[in-house]
Amino acid sequence: MATVKTEDFNQGGTRNALDLVQGKVAGLQITRTQGNNPNSSPAVQLRGIVSINGTQSPLIVIDGVPGGNLDLLQQDDIASFDVLKDGSAAAIYGTRGNAGVILITTKKGKAGPARFDYSTYVQHESVARRPNFLNADQWRAYRADPANQKAGQMQDLKATTDFYDLLLNKQNLSQYHNLALSGGGEKGSYRASMYYNGADPITIQNWRKQFGGRLSFNQRGFGDMLTAQVNLATNFNRANLLGGNSGDFENALGRNPTQPVFNPDGTYYEEGSTTNPLGRLNQEKNERAQQTTSADVRFTLEPIPGLRASAFGAIIRDNQNDNEYRSTQSRFSDIGTLNGTPVKKTGYARKYNYLSTSQTFESTLEYERTVAQDHSLKALAGYSYQYFVAENFSGANSGFLNDIFQENNLGAGNFLQLGKSSLSSGKEDNTLIAFFGRLNYAYKDKYMAQAILRREGSSRFGANNKYGYFPAVSAGWTISKESFMSNLAFVNELKLRVGYGVTGNQGIPNYQSVVRLSTGNQYLNDDGIWRQTYGPSNNPNPNLRWERKQEVNVGVDFALFNGRLTGALDLYQRRTSDLLGSFNTQLPPFVQSTLFTNVGVIQNKGIELTLSGTVLKKEDFSWSMDFAGSTQTNKLVSFSDDVFKVTFLTFGDIGGFGALGPAIRTIEGGPLGSFYGKRFAGFTPEGRWLFYKATGEAVTADKIVPNDDYAYIGNGIPKVYASWTNRFQYKNLDLSLFFRGKFGYDILNLQQVFFGNKIYLPNNVLVDAITRNNQINDALQFSDYYLEPGGFVKLDNVTLGYNIKLNTPLVRNLRLYLTGRNLLTITKYRGLDPEVDDTGLAPGIDGRGFYPRTRSFTAGLNIGF
Amino acid sequence: MKRYTLQLGLTGLLTLSGLTSCTNLDETLYSQINSAQFYNNRQEILSGVLRPYTHANAWIAPTSQQSYWRLNELTADQLAWPQKGRHGYDDAQWIRLHGHSWVFTENNIWNPWSLLFTGVGFCNSTLGDFNRVDFARAGVNDTEKAAFIAELKVFRAFHYMKLMDLYGNIPIVTTVGTPLSPPTASRAEVFAFIEKELKENVDLLPNLSKQQIGRITKAAGYAMLSELYLNAEVWLGTAKWDECIAACDKIIRGETGGLNGAPALDPDLVSTFNNTNDNSKEALFQLTYDYQATPTRCGWNSDFYHFAQRLIYDGDANGNNGVVVIPSAYDAFKDTDLRKSTWMLIGPQYQAADPTKPVLGTEEYRDKPLVFVKEIRRASENKTSSTMIDGEENSGARFNKYRPGRQTEAKYWSNDWLIYRLTEIYFNKAEALMRKNGGTATTEAVELINNCRKRAFSAADFTKEAYTPATLTLTELLAERGREFIFEGKRRTDMIRAGAFTRVSWWDHQPSDPSKNLFPIPQRQLAANPNLVQNPGYPAR
Repeated sequence: MATVKTEDFNQGGTRNALDLVQGKVAGLQITRTQGNNPNSSPAVQLRGIVSINGTQSPLIVIDGVPGGNLDLLQQDDIASFDVLKDGSAAAIYGTRGNAGVILITTKKGKAGPARFDYSTYVQHESVARRPNFLNADQWRAYRADPANQKAGQMQDLKATTDFYDLLLNKQNLSQYHNLALSGGGEKGSYRASMYYNGADPITIQNWRKQFGGRLSFNQRGFGDMLTAQVNLATNFNRANLLGGNSGDFENALGRNPTQPVFNPDGTYYEEGSTTNPLGRLNQEKNERAQQTTSADVRFTLEPIPGLRASAFGAIIRDNQNDNEYRSTQSRFSDIGTLNGTPVKKTGYARKYNYLSTSQTFESTLEYERTVAQDHSLKALAGYSYQYFVAENFSGANSGFLNDIFQENNLGAGNFLQLGKSSLSSGKEDNTLIAFFGRLNYAYKDKYMAQAILRREGSSRFGANNKYGYFPAVSAGWTISKESFMSNLAFVNELKLRVGYGVTGNQGIPNYQSVVRLSTGNQYLNDDGIWRQTYGPSNNPNPNLRWERKQEVNVGVDFALFNGRLTGALDLYQRRTSDLLGSFNTQLPPFVQSTLFTNVGVIQNKGIELTLSGTVLKKEDFSWSMDFAGSTQTNKLVSFSDDVFKVTFLTFGDIGGFGALGPAIRTIEGGPLGSFYGKRFAGFTPEGRWLFYKATGEAVTADKIVPNDDYAYIGNGIPKVYASWTNRFQYKNLDLSLFFRGKFGYDILNLQQVFFGNKIYLPNNVLVDAITRNNQINDALQFSDYYLEPGGFVKLDNVTLGYNIKLNTPLVRNLRLYLTGRNLLTITKYRGLDPEVDDTGLAPGIDGRGFYPRTRSFTAGLNIGF
Repeated sequence: MKRYTLQLGLTGLLTLSGLTSCTNLDETLYSQINSAQFYNNRQEILSGVLRPYTHANAWIAPTSQQSYWRLNELTADQLAWPQKGRHGYDDAQWIRLHGHSWVFTENNIWNPWSLLFTGVGFCNSTLGDFNRVDFARAGVNDTEKAAFIAELKVFRAFHYMKLMDLYGNIPIVTTVGTPLSPPTASRAEVFAFIEKELKENVDLLPNLSKQQIGRITKAAGYAMLSELYLNAEVWLGTAKWDECIAACDKIIRGETGGLNGAPALDPDLVSTFNNTNDNSKEALFQLTYDYQATPTRCGWNSDFYHFAQRLIYDGDANGNNGVVVIPSAYDAFKDTDLRKSTWMLIGPQYQAADPTKPVLGTEEYRDKPLVFVKEIRRASENKTSSTMIDGEENSGARFNKYRPGRQTEAKYWSNDWLIYRLTEIYFNKAEALMRKNGGTATTEAVELINNCRKRAFSAADFTKEAYTPATLTLTELLAERGREFIFEGKRRTDMIRAGAFTRVSWWDHQPSDPSKNLFPIPQRQLAANPNLVQNPGYPAR
């Protein structure tokens, strides 16, 4: 288990609670592929890939509520993150523990005087690096180049426009306020906080405004035998989902830069079948109003010392209300269709509602006793029930007279009468039930052992396989307490941990084990009426069962030199078997080409090292360092059994012009995340691609036999992750420098694949297309020509803080700080940012999204009364 | 003591409140249907019978899927999807189809298999479910029950015939889920299965009538028999010309009904394919559409239409600017052949809504008038080479056989997609007569073909263009079949039957190995099912 407490959080403004611990925990990978987009979530993965189609991100547990919603957390309400990495720790969360568990504990009130804590910051972002496309002048100059075969297709439209720049919100300023009230007495305490979080990102039409609060109190009574802990949290947010769309940036960059934004009559300039991105962003609307609420209560009764019974109930409710409108003047209204019927300048409106509820009930009985002074025993038994239900409703219509109603009077559009409006709804639910027990034994705090058994059932599995058993055992030995260690004075603490645990995964869609008849479009009945047809939409699998992961973890915790150097070293091996996946099946005899089933094994091995040290400690000055590093290998050991034989799996479809196919292929026994494709061998004098055949001969692309002549050309999963924190303190001034890096992987630069090729002209291209790649005179191709080394070191966070000591008892603390994030990147990678998505099964692909990565600068204030 | 009792009681209550909770993990479907609760009345039964029809457009019509249609057209001598600048290289998949160098791992080989066997699965699934259905209680009498079952079995046989056409040796499965790992059956066994299923069931089907539009009736069943027997020499190894002629005669004599009265050739080149083609007299089996009553239509736009094509016909859909007519196939039509000007689009394009305005290009001819040309070469760069990689946005004559009409029309894009029409039965019979006669046309054969061909010429021109027993050679018959059925998804089968598919060259295509008359069993299935056997000439696993 790794714990990150408030003081170690990444400082500055965050978009998501997990940003606080990015790079802080060895083995925990948090990647923001969409930069600082407030309406996107980071990709999270712990100790590599554990599943093919099941859940791959850790279970989030907030104050004991599994499946907690991160929207409910603001950075100043979090006391700590506990990351349960190894299987023996995660086993008590059983079934959903395969991808690890992140326990988040919120701040609680403490006995003492009433306290007020106020935190605020403002944040500004700027583009870290913009894509280097031809500007209007360069474009004109290339048009005039006599060697340019495409000149005849390039039209100078006489304007000079930087569409990319126009999509930026350069005056952005995000702000955040959080006020917490807390206090308590002997029998109870409380904490209430309220916040406003207004995220104003680098892109226009992409803001997110949240406010809400969190309330927690606890009290003890009934002769001090009964305690109650109540938490209530809610978040209201409005999000503008219109902008921040990566397609807009691609569209903007790819446009002819001599194109004007507006026609002389003031309408947006349009061409072909594309849409002016500025027009889209100004003539459409797509907003979400969301409310998430979580309430939980825990009663604990301790009738006799050592015996505790507790009951816990929680409910999380997430309600989304989406409102979409495209004006009668919008490009969509001009060329778009609804259910195949042209909208013809009559607008488009859509409303979408989503409501999900997750209810948890858990009861436990615990008994703790120390026998003969040295033997401490603890036993726990429990039951848990969780029910999740989600429903959605969507309606869309067109045929509006004008833009007055927008989406607020859906029925007014005449597409309803034409039978071309659309309406849909859906509902699904699932249930998890578990019985669990835990035994702990410790002898003199020197030897510790723990055993866990959980029996859990999920409604998602086949009738005979709903329940699974998940055992775990672990042991610890505090070596430093042994007498033979007493002469090694520099060792303050040394503890060996060994654990083995089995966890499960049920993170798959509902209803995969039963035959479902679904609608299959309408067909004419012999009474002249068109009605829906029904047929099976899946291959049922009554044998569908739990995916299971066995994990062995060996770790050492140590503290040396009077605690100046502390750390932990962990070695693990995990083996996920019965992988849940939508696998290719035999067709015939089945109806559909895939079957959701359990096939195959993934194996991960890795080493994680965490070090914390005090370099210098003087009266006025101190310097400390933290280091977290990890390395791992992932292997798909097998994915075949008696019935399902698969030779390889492909991932990461490149798509786009020229349908370039999948980038990644994994074979049985091979590593995950390997690029598979052509090997670049040069160019013909005419500029045609040459690639190597399997025989070694260099030939043009049409002579390459797919698969036969392809090879493994790289891998997108970093081999090593590392981070390094430096903290300096001089009197009341503190400075921290946080570096983060990933090493040993390849990036497929799709921006070069597509926009680095002159064939894209007369649309705009990267400068590289007419310089570095100028000799290419051929179709778009995916090959190792476009793979680049991806390693990097980032100066990710620099924070300078000042704690003002005021000579008044009224102000408890006052802190001012300045933070800069993503300040410097050292890399060989030619693209915008080498930190591309490295989680999941298609890692290392830098798409052509172009959502700007930013540098951010934050000024903040924390004050406590 | 009393106090302890209370405390322990409370403790127990807290604990037990959990244990008495529900342990039920059954799943409830809300937005889909559990088949055990279905088929309670005629409409529900019919909705199961009709499921394979709404699936069929995916494989038999050019609706943007990697389909039977694409394999049967883009490997042959009339249509191709050449690269057009930055568009259409598509990992060389179209080049491989055109050059007969497809590989058994590619999706173009796998998807038609998948789509067709899913269609088989829909038939098998409904047939299997019907074993549990009380038809009488659902208000379906025995005759109708037999007709529904026959309809599904004949449709299943049709899927198998198309699978056999592509892959030759395939597994035969008639129930869902069993047997696991079904073994390969030889093409002769598959032929026998299809023949048996058709013969046992066609006469249980109703006659074709307007009420049966879009359904498999006797007319469709006998048309399938006609196709099966016409190709028997290739598929079975034994010619069955007489059986083919008998099946054709059954339809021609009107014994299997007609869509609009007795079946007859449509008088012109348009009414068979336009958006009111439910009034066609020659249609024998079609996938029926009503774009006004439903949201679906036959989406050929995606494969065929240019990026700005909607302006050309005043509609709403553009396409991927993919499939075009190969120059030599365009030249195979005489200029006087009305099919050339009616079924293909070429030359400068104007906006249907305002014919004074040209349609503008979007790629090489951006903002310049769009002019479709016969040739496939990069004229914008003054190049003359003409191969699969030399196209640009306006290259090649375009599909115009099925026309959606203007979006203001009452039946805009409600065209039915024809699978069998009487003209094909005429051609089948003529070909069988000629083959039976040692390759020489009989008077009857000439008359059958001339009846069809007459529509393609003005009366004046036709006097010169009518065939005689001397001019209607087998080679000429294949060429005429090509002209008549261009775009209809039948070319490869016809070329194989004529022995031409792998032997002749056209445009950018050189003769290929005879093993290319069959496609490989897809790698994905060979990997999944150990009992499948690869076709000769392809990697075994």
